Amino acid sequence: MAHLDKEMIEYLSDLSRIDLSEKEQQALLSDLESILTYIDLLNEVDTEGVEPCNHVLADMQNVMREDEIGEVMPREIFLSNSPAQIGGMIRVPPVIKGK
Amino acid sequence: MHQLSAIELRDKFLNKEVSALQIVDYFLKRIDSYDGQIGAFLTVYHDQAREHAKKLDDKLAKGEPLGKLAGIPIAIKDNIHVKGELSTCASQFLTNFKAPFDSTVVKLLKAEDAVIIGKTNLDEFAMGSSTENSSVQLTRNPWNLTCAPGGSSGGSAAAVAARLVPLALGSDTGGSIRQPASLCGVVGYKPTYGRVSRFGLVAFGSSLDQIGPFATNTADAALVMEVIGGHCDRDSTSIPHKRETYLEKFDKTLEGTTIGVPFEFLKDLKGDSKQAFEQSLETFKEKGASIVEVDLSTLKYSIAVYYILATAEASTNLARFDGVRYGIRAPDAETLDQVYDRSKEIGFGHEVKRRIMLGTFVLSTGYQDAYYKKAQKVRTLMIEQYKKAFETCDLIAMPVATSGAFKIGSKKDPLEMYLEDIYTISINLAGLPAVSVPNGFTSHSLPLGLQLIGPQKEDVRVLSMAHAFESETSFNKLPPQFED
Repeated sequence: MAHLDKEMIEYLSDLSRIDLSEKEQQALLSDLESILTYIDLLNEVDTEGVEPCNHVLADMQNVMREDEIGEVMPREIFLSNSPAQIGGMIRVPPVIKGK
Repeated sequence: MHQLSAIELRDKFLNKEVSALQIVDYFLKRIDSYDGQIGAFLTVYHDQAREHAKKLDDKLAKGEPLGKLAGIPIAIKDNIHVKGELSTCASQFLTNFKAPFDSTVVKLLKAEDAVIIGKTNLDEFAMGSSTENSSVQLTRNPWNLTCAPGGSSGGSAAAVAARLVPLALGSDTGGSIRQPASLCGVVGYKPTYGRVSRFGLVAFGSSLDQIGPFATNTADAALVMEVIGGHCDRDSTSIPHKRETYLEKFDKTLEGTTIGVPFEFLKDLKGDSKQAFEQSLETFKEKGASIVEVDLSTLKYSIAVYYILATAEASTNLARFDGVRYGIRAPDAETLDQVYDRSKEIGFGHEVKRRIMLGTFVLSTGYQDAYYKKAQKVRTLMIEQYKKAFETCDLIAMPVATSGAFKIGSKKDPLEMYLEDIYTISINLAGLPAVSVPNGFTSHSLPLGLQLIGPQKEDVRVLSMAHAFESETSFNKLPPQFED
């Protein structure tokens, strides 16, 4: 089994962009350990020479369409769900700082 | 009126025996009387549904043509968009999110004059098997209010079971339609992967998700499939097939059919579930079907494969909830990074975080081959084994769940909850159509379900043979305390 420790949980929390309390980190560490132990069951399957499944429907091809403008969502409807906005745009904290 | 099937209701409406408004008012009254005990609904569209019903009454009075679902109330799982209405996914992250467009399924239902009556509870983002992961409320099983309805589409299943509504839609990623249908004693159908458009369904596991109906009988479920089961160019995984007719192909004969059963895989089945399952096989035999054993030995790996692939896909899909464009934003976030990190921290519940973390792990550098790729290879083996099994039979039969409904709060360990889906998960991994149809009761009078599984794209066969089984049995009952 892969080695899970507090550093790994912090690393995953960073990758998935979720802040976690100390308590949540503890709980996740033990949950993920028990799930990964269970998942190790797969090690007994011989998959030598087996292709990984890429699409469950074997006959599906890439779906392409003409690059045409379709129905466009009105700006005010889109913005009505955004948590902060300014002048018809979504507002976020400053990304580039300084003068 | 709640004893009638959806098809009977529609026919009564079209024959002017009852108005659409009377139907809608009747079911709204049932919801108002009973849902306080059950907790199936997150939103009820009292005004909109009544307005819509009046319009349908006008249409009928004027002699205008009406659709296949004319006047039938239908509930929608709260991860499927209805334009202008809340789509919360039972998550704190989306408490105020109003869908800016109709999902394709809702558009199709409306086009056939169904009346959308409200949105139903679910495990947050459809992650769970009991609806206990809803961040909004508990849903109780109408057969025993101390039990869970199953999940994740527990609200839809409970609503149909108590006849608060004749039809509902759910979504099924690893059993989320079939398992609650089984635990609540109703029919639940998961179509072939790609049969029903997911446009407007909040994505969880994109290679697994399918939308499907709940109903009190197979004919009503088939009627919904006739409406929603068509190609959609806004879902790139949609099968390029026209909508099929189901009901005219229904016949009640099982003569000459072959049912495959993975006896070896089912060897741990016990108690009431085992008895009900064996009784169902007897029913098939009495009706002229033969039973053959099929080898599905790879199915014992399905939960391990699923919790790698579904969490990997979920971690990707849920990255979009960044606190910027929609949903909540942490009020104390001062930098853009804090907007992301803290909004997810306060917006997501524990199970959602657990799955995102696990999915991130199996996709991370150094582990991808050992976990994600390995799982995709085992998935290939599973698909091949199913294919081979279907060379010798028309359908495969299995139970839906290992037991009847379990007590709320009784499954605390996440792995124990995951194992609840042992009989349903492989069907999603292989993209197959499968139905849960009531097949008995436990000694505690809790319903059980039989699962009938077909080869890909044989949706009509699955529902047709389930219909034949259903017409030989009488398990589609209404929980006694919601009878009048």
